[in-house]
Amino acid sequence: MNQKILLADDDEEDWEILLEAFKELNAEHAIHFKENGREIVTLLESTVEKDFPSLIVLDLNMPVLNGTETLKILKTNKKFRHIPVIIYSTSINPFEKDKCLLLGAERYITKPVSFKESIETARFFLNYEVQN
Amino acid sequence: MYNMHELVKISLENEMDLILANKRSMKLGEFTGLSLSAQTTFATAVSEVARNTIESKRNGSLTLCIEINKRDKYIVARIKDNQPENEKYKEGLAYAKRLVNKYNVSSNDDETSIELFYYVAPPFKIDIKKLDEWRTLFRNEPPVSPYEELKRKNEQLQDLSEKIQKSESQYKTLTNSLPLTIFTLDNDGQLIYANEWLLSFTGLTIEKLNTTKWKTVVFEEDYNSFLLLLNNDITRGTITMKIQARLKNNISGDYLWHQVSISPLKNTGDEILYWIGYIVDIHAQKVFEETLKDNIELKHAQTQLKQNQQVLEDYITELNRSNSELQQFAFIASHDLQEPVRKLLYYSDYLLEAYKNTLDDKGIKYLATMHSAAIRMRELISDLLSFSQVNKESIIFKTVDLNKVIVDVKQDMELVIEEKKANLQVHNLPEITGDERMMHQLFSNLISNALKFSAKDIAPVIQVLSQEKDGYFEIEIRDNGIGFRTEHLPDIFKLFQRLHPKKDFEGTGLGLAICRKIVELHNGNIKAESAPGKGSSFKILLPVKQSESVHESENTFS
Repeated sequence: MNQKILLADDDEEDWEILLEAFKELNAEHAIHFKENGREIVTLLESTVEKDFPSLIVLDLNMPVLNGTETLKILKTNKKFRHIPVIIYSTSINPFEKDKCLLLGAERYITKPVSFKESIETARFFLNYEVQN
Repeated sequence: MYNMHELVKISLENEMDLILANKRSMKLGEFTGLSLSAQTTFATAVSEVARNTIESKRNGSLTLCIEINKRDKYIVARIKDNQPENEKYKEGLAYAKRLVNKYNVSSNDDETSIELFYYVAPPFKIDIKKLDEWRTLFRNEPPVSPYEELKRKNEQLQDLSEKIQKSESQYKTLTNSLPLTIFTLDNDGQLIYANEWLLSFTGLTIEKLNTTKWKTVVFEEDYNSFLLLLNNDITRGTITMKIQARLKNNISGDYLWHQVSISPLKNTGDEILYWIGYIVDIHAQKVFEETLKDNIELKHAQTQLKQNQQVLEDYITELNRSNSELQQFAFIASHDLQEPVRKLLYYSDYLLEAYKNTLDDKGIKYLATMHSAAIRMRELISDLLSFSQVNKESIIFKTVDLNKVIVDVKQDMELVIEEKKANLQVHNLPEITGDERMMHQLFSNLISNALKFSAKDIAPVIQVLSQEKDGYFEIEIRDNGIGFRTEHLPDIFKLFQRLHPKKDFEGTGLGLAICRKIVELHNGNIKAESAPGKGSSFKILLPVKQSESVHESENTFS
């Protein structure tokens, strides 16, 4: 499996923040950005299993297909459900968090509020498989 | 056939003649249809004058006549004598003239004539034939002995008196047998007569009623209008007057509604002689009316109540709606506000990290100020979010071990506890029925307050104690911090209430408001005790058992 992180978020500033962090870690090649959940599902459907990403990161509030809907599709699909999914949101809404964990998300983390935190987040994504 | 028609002439010389004069006068009255009393009246008048004439021996005479003029008919007695009028003579006339309708006196030197007129009611017809008939009858009338005549007179008088007595007793029997209270009043409102019904109803005598002015009989509220009836100022009127008043039944002691009515009785001169009154029991009717009225009022009140209730329900629905809208708004607003604040935080931090060498001191200072403002804003938004989420709808009741809650809270605050060298002593806490997340927030807020408001240079000691009493767990969080003045007590649980300036202590002013909301949602109570420098104590009362309805909500949300 590739060291490839697929992230869906409609906020391009957030892409930039994360890209900056990945660059700090010299790992900008590992992250790929999509605008919403639909794009991720479409991409996976046309991808052979060996090219699947090692991690999927989903923002919750997205147009077309939001985080929880995407999570549902991924975790109810035999082909995709082994791919770890991390929910990545601005704040922790306890109801949303419980719901997402119940639907099969591996983690629920908040978006960084400082440069230092953004690097920690990037490192967390990169090392996710190693940690688990 | 107008004019005077003579019927009979009698000489007036002795007592015998006087009796005859009386008898003939009576007879004439009888012929012309007068009542017995009218006959007597006329005959008495004639006798009075005739007696005078006989006593003074004037060779008088009596002539009985009928006068018929255009309008009226009279029987007339003409008494003549052969002397001029003198004073003594007037004695009899003085009395007689009061008994007749008109009289006439004429006199000259050797004759005096007195005529007495008595009115004959119009329906009685008199014609020539009748006059002749009467003349014949008078002529054939046998002379009577004075003793016989006297005896007959006495019998007539007896008869009259019996009739009057009988009539009076009939009247009394009648008024007493009617189921009606009848009375008569004089012009001063004093009772003259009252039938037995009135006396037995009131249990009082006429005298007693008069002296008390009915005061003990009439219901207090109705007495004034009753007095108006009794009082002459008003009763001087000439029409029937009615009032309604409650009168006391002597036997039962109940006040019952009656109608009291009085009507004036007048003589021919239109003067009021006295008042005739009656009292009727109208209690049943009155009670019926009142009940009907009450019923209508009751129905009205019921309708009003229903309307009010509807309005109230509408208000409550509206209130619930706007409340839940507000909650939703607070949640969405705070949630969406977090995104831009996070950016502010990130970029100001990034600038402070990556550009600290290119910025001058002032730039760095301002940027740092902006960064810390953004931190406060994030905290505020986060607290608002919490506050909006602490509500009835989101509560999930479960058995919660408070010891475990405190362990989790302690873990969250590990860094601060270490930094402040705080000593958190937790005594054995109970298991309660509650929302785990809210309990976590409650103790987290209280313990973080205790850490935050610790006294300078003294290591914080925070105790969490518990005891059970009266169906409640009392959990106390006690610290040795700076405390606060009791005058601030009523305010500290209010939203956005701060006791300290921002520069001294960070905080949003939402922490204790959230605590109170959580405790109240758990049907409990929170209060605080403190004094400056003496530390603070927060006591939470939570019911040992939550009520049934609360457990139902558990099913709904689990």
